Amino acid sequence: MSALLLMAPALLLLLAVFVWPLLDYAWLSLQAQSVFTGLEAVPVGTLNWQRLLVDGRFWQDAWQTLRFAAVSVGLELVAGLAIALLLHQRWRGRGVVRSLALLPWALPTTVMALGWRWIFNDPYGPINGLLQLLGLATLPFLAAPELAWLATVVADVWKTTPFVALLLLAGLQMIPGDLYEAFALEGGTPWQGLWRITVPLLRPYIFIVLLFRLAQALGVFDLIAVLTGGGPASSTESLAVYAYLNAMRFLDFGYSATVMLGMFLLLLAGAGGLLLWRRQTEVRA
Amino acid sequence: MRGASRRRLTAIGLGLGLALAIGLLSWAWARPATVVRVLMPAPFADATADLVATFNRSHRDIRIAVTRGPFETDAVSDLAISSLLLGDSPYDLLLMDVTWTAKYAAAGWLQPLDAWLGPDALEPLVSGARAGNRIDGRLYRLPLVADMGLLYWRTDLMETPPRTPDDLVAISKRLQEQGRVRWGYVWQGRQYEGLSCVALELIAGFGGHWGPGEAGFGLASPAAARAAGWLQQLVHEGISPQAVANFAEPEALQSFEAGEAAFLRNWPYAWQELQREGSAVAGKVGITTMVAEPGEAHAATQGSWGLSLLSGSPHPQAAADVLQALTGEASQRQLVRRYGYTPTLTALFDDPELVAERPLLPQLRQALEQAVLRPLNPGYAQLSDILQRQLSALITGRGDPAAAMARAGRDSDLLLRASGQMLDTPAREVSR
Amino acid sequence: MRVSTRAGLVALLLLWSLGPMLWQLYTSMRTPEALLAGAGGLASGWTLANYGAVLGGDPPFWRYLLNSTVVGALSTLLTLALAIPCAYALSRRGGLLRLLVGGGLLAAAVFPYVLLFLALLQVARQLGLANNLLALCLPYAGLQLPLAVLLLQAAFAELPPELEESAVLEGFSLWQRLRWILLPLMGPAVVSTGLLVFLFSWNEFPIALTWISRSELLTLAPAMARIAGSSVYTVPYGAFAAATVLGSVPLLALLLLFQRQIVAGLTQGAIKG
Repeated sequence: MSALLLMAPALLLLLAVFVWPLLDYAWLSLQAQSVFTGLEAVPVGTLNWQRLLVDGRFWQDAWQTLRFAAVSVGLELVAGLAIALLLHQRWRGRGVVRSLALLPWALPTTVMALGWRWIFNDPYGPINGLLQLLGLATLPFLAAPELAWLATVVADVWKTTPFVALLLLAGLQMIPGDLYEAFALEGGTPWQGLWRITVPLLRPYIFIVLLFRLAQALGVFDLIAVLTGGGPASSTESLAVYAYLNAMRFLDFGYSATVMLGMFLLLLAGAGGLLLWRRQTEVRA
Repeated sequence: MRGASRRRLTAIGLGLGLALAIGLLSWAWARPATVVRVLMPAPFADATADLVATFNRSHRDIRIAVTRGPFETDAVSDLAISSLLLGDSPYDLLLMDVTWTAKYAAAGWLQPLDAWLGPDALEPLVSGARAGNRIDGRLYRLPLVADMGLLYWRTDLMETPPRTPDDLVAISKRLQEQGRVRWGYVWQGRQYEGLSCVALELIAGFGGHWGPGEAGFGLASPAAARAAGWLQQLVHEGISPQAVANFAEPEALQSFEAGEAAFLRNWPYAWQELQREGSAVAGKVGITTMVAEPGEAHAATQGSWGLSLLSGSPHPQAAADVLQALTGEASQRQLVRRYGYTPTLTALFDDPELVAERPLLPQLRQALEQAVLRPLNPGYAQLSDILQRQLSALITGRGDPAAAMARAGRDSDLLLRASGQMLDTPAREVSR
Repeated sequence: MRVSTRAGLVALLLLWSLGPMLWQLYTSMRTPEALLAGAGGLASGWTLANYGAVLGGDPPFWRYLLNSTVVGALSTLLTLALAIPCAYALSRRGGLLRLLVGGGLLAAAVFPYVLLFLALLQVARQLGLANNLLALCLPYAGLQLPLAVLLLQAAFAELPPELEESAVLEGFSLWQRLRWILLPLMGPAVVSTGLLVFLFSWNEFPIALTWISRSELLTLAPAMARIAGSSVYTVPYGAFAAATVLGSVPLLALLLLFQRQIVAGLTQGAIKG
């Protein structure tokens, strides 16, 4: 009983912050609450949901968000593992390098998104400056759809790879060193060791990284809002940005709530898939 | 003795009276002036800085405090909306784009101006500038400067500008074949508000109407399909470059200014830019209204900025005074003379002195009289977004215009239905 | 791996991690003319005027840093005050409750919280919590509770139960046990959890964006976004860069001072999660 009492304040706040909003959205998605109704809620049944199903922009953004998350998290895993392997070796100054490499992760996203905007500037940013020095044409990084998408991925990978590397480093430190010694004695190369020992034993950590990072990347908002604002021509818009626009620019709260619930359902489906995959790989392993 | 005491009394009385007078005066003097806070986009805050300073020097009881908002139109709106949504707006007046009015009024954020300005507030305005300020019969906004879409043409390449879409295509092709220009017509094809302005003019020019009344908010009509098809044709036949799909005003202007194209769609501000030193077309440019099918309207999209009074203002009378001063004749005259803005007051268009200084004014007035409004609907931002998406896809691809416009129409209907418009009043659309 | 290869890789890693920051530092000290003229001529064109402009703005930039610090510190205290008892109780309970609450906490910890902004905005409107830095700590504490409870719960579970049992025999009350026996041993875990909460609150964007509209109350993240609201092309980049540098320095200091604790907090999360 006293245990529940100790937990009550925290659980109440958690309910208010996480559960209540979802219930609120479920109700709101069945209402029209927008400028059309003078910002009052009017019940409209499933109209918002019907609109969501045929809303090309929702599905385009869903695809763009998924593509962004898959590519960035994939790159972060590869780069993060490489950095973790580098930091796992013993050498002088490792501690300092580790904390310096963590800096991108610690900075507010909006701060560095503004910085990246300058780095990708056409034609005065450093990348285009370099291109000009080499006698090449400048690239309109933030004005062409594919390049702008690339810019968001680069900025995201830069920011979150340290986080991935650190978690994987923690995993590496759990692997007993004699495993590699035994493997080397049997004539295995370090490269084979990476695939036969490191990656399989890191699997639980990779799973944690995937869980955290995919969820965050699918909800990407800060970076896009400041770096591209969703443009050009909504080509970098994520679902979170679309939901935000619906609420704050179109003043359509009913539909914004529907977009967010729709996104939540897609996330749930994704998480279910990930859990299933983990169960299967565990059974096989 | 008696005289002395009377004198003393008088002196005391005078002294007291003087002290009282000084006290009252200094109280009145020290009484803090009412501060009227105005949020404006940065360019307007800069252009009106002198006007505001002059006002503050000549008024003791009212002081104007301008907040210099962001540069981008959307960013200014975001800032205003976020404070209005929280019910804690620090502003009294807001300088608004014409397309925001319906949305802000429907949200209940604006106070009708009729009580402060009387029923004839719009009388001094040229007719084209009157539209878009009244919603449901109430005045919510008083325009400061006007803007309208114009067709720029090269006087060195032709005698008279084209008046129909076919003319424009024919002249362009001839000039392109002769190698005198690389492109025929450059315009705003990027997926943003500018594309909706282009489309609005053409839909009207082909005999249609973007707005309520017809199926699909006027988009599921043959006229809208032909307008969209014409834009697609321009790109496919090479009359407009493919890059037009990513052109906003500056890019289109740049291309025309370099002498690459025979025609340009842009706003009045482009004129000064085209006449400046270094422009390849200086002195060789004329302006007219957009092309239209024979018998249809040569429409110009109306864009204007105006001041609105926010509901939460604690001193609406003072705010209304400021609103009138800033939109008044002296103020507009200075904006026209110093910054090249287009006025909204008839008196200024008729002023021979001003016309001598800005010879374009009569033509601008003509275009303004032809001005058409984008739908005055609270959901305009979304409706415009729907149209832009379909048009952008048409310009960059080979889709069927009629099918695309039908989709835009269906999406518009769906939006209006889902947003409860049908449940509420059948038409919140506006009376001009 | 050869030492020279490794040195090369480490250099590459540092260049990748710090390069963008260093470029901001460089940009922040250049005059606008020098920035537009290109790479030529490093001898001239240096200035501190950009910092002057940012610090002398309205409101001055340090105001945002102060706001973020206040919100960060108070949110951290509130989160810890709620999380410690909850984590303790959770670690002392077994069975279904722990499984249920633990699972819920994990789900909440990975939940993309940006989805909550609209409902939280309505809460702010209805309860009048808008434009209030103290009120902003409530959602922040709520959002960080899941991670904090999970981390602290794992730390509590590691303490030997005999310690508490003997204290019970001595007649210590629950509060006394927590305060005098358990918490002193939890020091490192509390510090690293607190640091993670502080970092989150300092950096948070969407909630601050919707709860705060008065410019003098903005925290760092929305202030940066508002600064960025000027056009993409015609912007005073020197001043932008000065703002990014000023916004980064406090975190750089925090990271260098507490890197061990922050790393411990992060990796704890991975191992226990």
